[in-house]
Amino acid sequence: MSGALIRGRGLEKRFGRSVALRGVDLDVRAGEALAVVGPNGAGKSTLLRMLAGLVRPSAGTLLLGGIPAGRPGARAQIGLVAHATFLYPQLTARENLLFAGRLHGVAQPEARAARLLEEEGLADAAGRAAGSFSRGMAQRLSIARALMHDPPVLLLDEPFTGLDRRAGDSLCARIRALRAAGRTFLLVTHDLAQAAALADAALVLASGLCVRELRGAELGAAALEQAYALAAGTAR
Amino acid sequence: MRVLLAVLWKDLLSEWRSRDRVVAMLIFSLLVAVVFHFSLPGGAGARSQAQAPGLLWIAYIFAAVLGLNRAFSVELENDALSGLALVPVDRGYVFLGKALANTAILGVVQAVTAVVFALFFQLDLLPIALPLAGVVALGSLGVTAAGTLFAAVAVRTRFREVMLPLLLLPLLVPVLAGAVRATAALLQGDSAPWDALQLLIVTDAIYWIVSFLGFEYVLDE
Repeated sequence: MSGALIRGRGLEKRFGRSVALRGVDLDVRAGEALAVVGPNGAGKSTLLRMLAGLVRPSAGTLLLGGIPAGRPGARAQIGLVAHATFLYPQLTARENLLFAGRLHGVAQPEARAARLLEEEGLADAAGRAAGSFSRGMAQRLSIARALMHDPPVLLLDEPFTGLDRRAGDSLCARIRALRAAGRTFLLVTHDLAQAAALADAALVLASGLCVRELRGAELGAAALEQAYALAAGTAR
Repeated sequence: MRVLLAVLWKDLLSEWRSRDRVVAMLIFSLLVAVVFHFSLPGGAGARSQAQAPGLLWIAYIFAAVLGLNRAFSVELENDALSGLALVPVDRGYVFLGKALANTAILGVVQAVTAVVFALFFQLDLLPIALPLAGVVALGSLGVTAAGTLFAAVAVRTRFREVMLPLLLLPLLVPVLAGAVRATAALLQGDSAPWDALQLLIVTDAIYWIVSFLGFEYVLDE
């Protein structure tokens, strides 16, 4: 695929004797949302953390805007939201965002933090310690943290885990709004309906292999369910 | 530089709010002073005074190990360490911020511990306060540089509490040798020997440079 913002070829990752990824290819255009699904141990989170530069590939190439993943220039383009929130419980919500802003060299971190707290509905809790937040509030603050430096690519690693239905719906709406603003997404999830609803394309992984790629009209909840069932069978 | 300052600000603010690290280090080093005082024959006699520089540095080093272990275990909560690893600059600047915060926290503990040792071992530290502070600072810079690097290495291992001293203590032999010699000379009323200071300066330089360069890879999973 030409003009891909994210391009991976032959991605492999070994942790000692266990192999997490075996020759995965990946293309994501700017503004596209790609869902990565598969059973436990399929290599989804490894792929995402490789993109974030937290895990180095054992083989293969992975480029973000032409820069090898893991280099500071590639890390600058990434915002990561995971099940773990990356927040410091002793710091207030505002201080957590200011810290993230300063790490990324945001020009006016105070103004940016205030705006994001407002957008995430956390303005009233800005002065509260992040450790006192509910899971839903912490996840919203985690999204604000990831958006502090306005990254073009947002990586979401099972962001719905531990959220109740209301908080999950609210997060879903927030992701749709960010998508509409033209951001590129990679979403790792076990929720196939959400993946089909939020993404333009889906990659189905099993035992570190890409067993199916669904794009455009092919991508629907039923097709994704079928591909996932096949992947789960492969993994077994 | 902004990353260094951000990490320094975050670590010192977090410590100011919780004070758990500095309190644990202080209690530990005070207990060490008490144990040494009562376990040495002759109490605060001349023989004990001669051993005081070595004992003081043992207290400093073990208190530092305790604090360094905690410096990165707080980063494991909510996987904040991964958040730090996403910085869009060389991760060596994260190392600099954390190492300077560790040095500042250790400095507070060392100042209080020195006063307690002075009381227990009848040491007159006031006339040598300035040169002693210089020697302690030189020694501490070596301890925190190597300690911050290895605390980051050890934090993701299964036995991190044990792993850090096993990795770190052999590396601290030159720091300990230089610092104890210089401290002993100061306590005897002499000036700190130049070769001991040279050893500290060279060791510090090597540890800071190697740790700065190595930190980029240490934060990889």
